[in-house]
Amino acid sequence: MRVAFDISRLASMFLALALAIPIAVSTVGNAAAQEPEFDDVPFANGQWNIGRRLDESQFRYCVDKRDPDWEVAAAIGDAIAAALLLEPQRYVVEREIAVEDITKIYAIMLEHCDVHMGFKLIPEGYARWITLTRAYYETQYVFVASDPALQKLADLPPGHSIGATVGTMAHIRLVSYQSALPAEKRWPVFPMGSNEQALDALLKGSVDVALVWAPNLWAKQREDAAYGELHVLEPSPLPPSTIGVGAVVLADQKFLRSAVDEAISALTADGTLDGILKGFDFPATAAAP
Amino acid sequence: MKSRSKLTVLVAGTVSLMAVHAAIAQDAATQESVIDKITPVTDEMLLDPPDADWLMWRRTYNGWGYSPLDQINKENVGKLKLAWSWGMSPGGRTQETPLVHDGVMFVQNADHRIQALDAATGDLIWEYQHELPDGVSPGGERSKAIYGNNLIIATRDAHIIALDIKTGELVWDQQVADYKKGFAYSSGPLVANGVIVQGMTSCSNAQPGGCFFTGHDAETGEEIWRVNTIARGDTPEGNSWNGIPVENRYGASAWITGSYDPEQNLIFAGVGQPYPWNVEIAGLTPKSSDPNVTNEALYTNSTLAIDATTGELKWYHQYLPTDSLDLDYVYERLIVDDEVVTTGKIGIMEAIDRTTGKWLWAKETAPQNVVLSIDKETGAKEINPDVIPVIGETTFNCPADPGSKAWQATSYSPKTGAVYLPTVEFCSNTTVNPLDPGQIYTGGGLQTYSRVPRPDGDGNIGQVRAYKLDDQSEMWQYRQYAPVTTSTLPTAGGVVFVGTLDRKLIAFDDETGDVLWTSPKLSNSLESFPISYEADGKQYIAVVANFGNGLGRLQSLTPDIKLPPNNPVTLYVFALPDDEE
Repeated sequence: MRVAFDISRLASMFLALALAIPIAVSTVGNAAAQEPEFDDVPFANGQWNIGRRLDESQFRYCVDKRDPDWEVAAAIGDAIAAALLLEPQRYVVEREIAVEDITKIYAIMLEHCDVHMGFKLIPEGYARWITLTRAYYETQYVFVASDPALQKLADLPPGHSIGATVGTMAHIRLVSYQSALPAEKRWPVFPMGSNEQALDALLKGSVDVALVWAPNLWAKQREDAAYGELHVLEPSPLPPSTIGVGAVVLADQKFLRSAVDEAISALTADGTLDGILKGFDFPATAAAP
Repeated sequence: MKSRSKLTVLVAGTVSLMAVHAAIAQDAATQESVIDKITPVTDEMLLDPPDADWLMWRRTYNGWGYSPLDQINKENVGKLKLAWSWGMSPGGRTQETPLVHDGVMFVQNADHRIQALDAATGDLIWEYQHELPDGVSPGGERSKAIYGNNLIIATRDAHIIALDIKTGELVWDQQVADYKKGFAYSSGPLVANGVIVQGMTSCSNAQPGGCFFTGHDAETGEEIWRVNTIARGDTPEGNSWNGIPVENRYGASAWITGSYDPEQNLIFAGVGQPYPWNVEIAGLTPKSSDPNVTNEALYTNSTLAIDATTGELKWYHQYLPTDSLDLDYVYERLIVDDEVVTTGKIGIMEAIDRTTGKWLWAKETAPQNVVLSIDKETGAKEINPDVIPVIGETTFNCPADPGSKAWQATSYSPKTGAVYLPTVEFCSNTTVNPLDPGQIYTGGGLQTYSRVPRPDGDGNIGQVRAYKLDDQSEMWQYRQYAPVTTSTLPTAGGVVFVGTLDRKLIAFDDETGDVLWTSPKLSNSLESFPISYEADGKQYIAVVANFGNGLGRLQSLTPDIKLPPNNPVTLYVFALPDDEE
């Protein structure tokens, strides 16, 4: 179909731009449900050659060494397996790539595991090809400082900087809070590419406060005494940013997901998960049943 | 396909890199004669490529994407038939531009299998496998280069490699950046005045300080200069990031190959938007009260004019400051007379002076609601405040993030004096979301684009638009339901080719827009760069069918267009029957 050029028709169809002439715009209603992105369509190289497992007596789960809580998640994975009366089969992902697209876990799960530990329960945060279990623990994003005079965020004078791990719900909440303040009462907020960068900036003194995922602070303090000098602030005037952490399974594994959910509920109720978290001195609590 | 016993295997690289080359001689009489006759590509050839060849991404330094071949013309294009086809590695993203020199075609598969084919028969001459490290997704590169005796390839693990065009053997391999930190190439290099010029991408959230262009010695691949695409230092440009330290500035990806002006020895190349997309999250708003600080975020969404020999940044022009909608101005740069012409995702075509960078004119193409007005003298844009995403609200913008004009390149025909734009019309309900589901597995952006049809549209998402460049008047416009998903290919035969999401290659009359020929439905959608070349005296049209990551994302708007699973990738080559030449 060919259409001859007709600017008046085009303008009446929609919004035409005229140089230096302001034009009214129209808007429509709020968003529909999120549409799947191409990036959300999983693909595993050679996926048609990857077979399906036959051994149904094992609980195959993955943990990723890049996650600060991977050892805790592994202990929880073993406990879930025991609750399901299955033999735990752990696969430890050992990659060094800093940040990956979530579709990468599709290939890992096709080859190595049915349950992948370590995902935040963010509403509308996932594509339709995966689904989340219930949370096996809850933890927080935390404001961290080295200056002992700072005990709560409100102690930080305006103009002093915060290095926030970019794009987290806590970062968004902080930015949203600040946008309601007059300019002279704001803190400069610098986006940090990772929790590690935020904590390093704090140690170097290039920011006054870091906003990070609590498990990352925990992991850093375990491995390096320098981070032991850092302390967590009360978040006020902001509320705590608490979120659950669970596992993902492929969306078609409905029975498996139900079974894992039931196991997590049972392990929460009988105190097993709390025991694991306390055993690691991990900054989290078992999620409420 | 007949195979002979000659097999050479070369293993090279480090622990993370193993490269296997297999040279396969077959159909000896034809294959050996074609590859034996291939000649080095000289600077003179690159300045004025033989009509039969397609030596670089847009065929010529000026970025026109125009073929001077005219054997296929308006009168006979309706008789085009499939000459040969070649199955490429399935899966992964690829937005391929085959190159052709002396009757040999070079293609790069998504899994980084690089192949030389007889361009007349489609028979394999040699292939080279660049092994991607574990964890690096397979994906093609939009372009590659030939210089001297080398085919120069960029890779998804941030290497630049050179292969011998006769044998496919590895000549050199340079790792430019660490893929473990997210660096990658998605487009290939341009060789200008003997220097390999390459832009880096995938240096977003994980990589402070942003991306860069590099210049490399063509003989060794050694880096000889680097231009950071995020401005630094205590300069007006360096202070344009709202007071954010350099290590907290992200984005400015250099993900599309530039053009080259030999008279000035200048590369004209585009730079993408700041990351994260949301300017509040990126720290670019609210605007700092420091009078020495601005928040345009230079050099995002700009044209950079870079000296090809020294890497000196001569000048820049920014089209869209403080971008919050992923609306790159990174695409092709057409050099026509004294103008450098480009079209960003908003679909506004703009020209700047090629010697000074001074803004000259703008022309809106597809409907949009992002820009309210443009200053006639400077090109400065008034942005519609209602479309800027705000935390806690949903905003409505047209186009959405893939752009009404995306990476599919606009072409220019000196025959008609017209540019041919592949465009789409659609909108988005946009919300700011946290995208940190796992510690490692996270999204690059922080906004969700729920794509919707244009509310007052006619249902036709895809268009080809032809404009006279001298006065920017529209010559013709073609509209169809399915998105148009390849670059345009105008030829001296008076035909413009384009591919679509619904698996068709279409030929138009370059002056009227009349449809002259439509291919049969091919194996997949077409998201690539079609080319034309000549081999053994015959003109061919080549295009790769595949589902990529560009306007294919609009498939959610056209769910009735069914595509095959597992993303097959096929190279199709069309020609006239022998008795029609």
